[in-house]
Amino acid sequence: MSAATGVTSGLTKNDRIVFEDVSKFYGEILGVNRVNLSIPPGVTSLVGPNGSGKTTLMNLMTGLVRPTRGRISVLGLDPREPEKLFKILGYSTQFDSFPKNLTGFQFVASYLRLAGSDPQTVEQLAWRAIEHVNLTEAAGRSVGSYSKGMRQRIRLAQALCHNPRVLVLDEPMNGLDPLARAEMIALFRAAAAEGCYVIISSHILHEVDALSDQVILLSNGYVVAEGQIHSVRNEIREHPAQILIRCDRPRDLAMKMMELPQTIEVRIHNDDHGLLIKTKDADRFYLALNHIAVNGIEIESVAPADDDVNSVYEYLIGNDEVTR
Amino acid sequence: MTKLWWAQIRSVIRLEMKKTFFARRGLWIYILALLPFLLFLSQFFIASRLRARNSEIAARSEKKLTEQDLHAIQPDMTSEEVIALLGKPPVRYRWNQRRRLDNGTFVVIPRETYKYSDGLNSLFLSLEDGKVVSINVQGFTLTGDSVVFAGVFQFFYLRLAIFFGCLGIFMNLFRGEILDKSLHFYFLAPIRRDVLMVGKFLAGLLATCAIFVTSELLQIIVFTGQFSPNVRELYLYHNHGLAQGAAYLGITALACLGYGAFFLAAGMLFRNPILPAAVILGWEAANPFLPALLQKVSVIYYLKSLCPVEIPTPPGTPALLSLLVSNPDPVSTPVAIMGIVIMSLFVLYISSLQVRRMEINYTTE
Repeated sequence: MSAATGVTSGLTKNDRIVFEDVSKFYGEILGVNRVNLSIPPGVTSLVGPNGSGKTTLMNLMTGLVRPTRGRISVLGLDPREPEKLFKILGYSTQFDSFPKNLTGFQFVASYLRLAGSDPQTVEQLAWRAIEHVNLTEAAGRSVGSYSKGMRQRIRLAQALCHNPRVLVLDEPMNGLDPLARAEMIALFRAAAAEGCYVIISSHILHEVDALSDQVILLSNGYVVAEGQIHSVRNEIREHPAQILIRCDRPRDLAMKMMELPQTIEVRIHNDDHGLLIKTKDADRFYLALNHIAVNGIEIESVAPADDDVNSVYEYLIGNDEVTR
Repeated sequence: MTKLWWAQIRSVIRLEMKKTFFARRGLWIYILALLPFLLFLSQFFIASRLRARNSEIAARSEKKLTEQDLHAIQPDMTSEEVIALLGKPPVRYRWNQRRRLDNGTFVVIPRETYKYSDGLNSLFLSLEDGKVVSINVQGFTLTGDSVVFAGVFQFFYLRLAIFFGCLGIFMNLFRGEILDKSLHFYFLAPIRRDVLMVGKFLAGLLATCAIFVTSELLQIIVFTGQFSPNVRELYLYHNHGLAQGAAYLGITALACLGYGAFFLAAGMLFRNPILPAAVILGWEAANPFLPALLQKVSVIYYLKSLCPVEIPTPPGTPALLSLLVSNPDPVSTPVAIMGIVIMSLFVLYISSLQVRRMEINYTTE
């Protein structure tokens, strides 16, 4: 169920994050199984309940764990070569522990020093990353004294500090207040607009919707769907597409809709100014709607009602442990 | 590339030194390292007091005595003979002892003790009825004290203090970070895992050397400080004292290298440090009883060969204990140094293979 491939078909393996038949077992416990992915630039969200394999996938991508079977390549690089991989990749993990006795600035700066940067570059890049996440005032304080949100932000600063082309972010919004969330979303979107690969795992589906160019849905260690949300939704044939139409004469429109062969169900909205229609072929339905609209009914808006991560997730996985 | 690696190694050392030197949980290592220093420091103070007392006694003597004079006294000499040889005793106690004879009657025996000194050594004489019955010459004998120093070094410092100190520091380089869930910080940096391992090992080596070599140096200073300037000069410049001191410092550094390499590897391979520590401790202790070839796969084998002072085993010492103390098949100094270096490099090579395979999987730890 891969729709992303078509959008960025000009990309080679060296321009993608590729999983080829990757499985990971922790002893007898399944991490992920038979994963085949080809992730293009843009924001890609990993969505799934706890234990579905999101973090394992991220750890595999970054070489923190090694696949039991299969091969992984990040823009042509092998995750087993950290000295090359982490020049182009930054990973903000969920692990909430830090090297001891470091201030926020030292935490970011020591990462850059480990990369071998000269002191001047370290100073410049560290402060820039800290400013990006709005932690300038707290940068001189020990990380141990930070709140959860601040620790999240300093981890983000560390992941961002060396201007990586690939950003892997495990639950990056955890602990952030609404304003900080909005800032982060803008930051990730800006990175994606510059051609970066931003891989995000999240429980919060409305944020995934606002952020993502494509999603990877995981359940029990398996990839159940992958691609742009709209394409994924179109592939789910067993659940008819739902379309919300706002108009002045919903009852007249409902009569006409029922005449269409692709219409399954029509419901008049509670406020009497719209219809919710279920159809088994959304594309043909939209064509037919054009003809109906010409015949005197004033249509204010037409919008898919279940063409979002929320609905896709519910159809494919269910609604366990996910925040809307 | 080498320049980059050195820059990265320096960064790792900087981070690690901060952790190692300021860790509260490493306090016991400092205590362990300083214990022999405290022992020799207390000996230094006791010796200083005794020397001052002996000087005072010597100053009060009628004659200026030498060490030979003190040794000239024989049992059964009369008090007159003693006074003729050494002069009137500067310290003298007299009392009468009531003693029961075999026939049940009591006799009163006049008892005396004399104390003489040449300024360094002291002579205690016990006299009964005007005759010498016991002679005790006490002094600062270089040979005796350097054997005591060697004993403390070999049996406490090398085998226990440095051993457990290295265990505490080197095992924590990776295992401690896994327990703290902070190892991913290093594994997510653009640094080769083996370069990271070398950086961590060098940080551990610097820390252990700083702690244990410094403590050893302090021990040597207070040990030599107990002697009078003349004796000290004799010991240091004419009796291999300087060479012995340098050897002790070198052996300490080599012990940190050897044990460090083993414990670094053990910290990567085992979750529980007690098991490998017990195995290595057992292996090192059992070294004298192992076949010749296996003896060479041990840190203590080479270190024992490098020790500058041999510890004598008095006649009648149990065979097992003699075997522990003695070194029947020592190797030459260059071979011993090369042996430890090569063995450590080999263990580090194995560790470098292991570190490349390591995974961050805190949740299953």
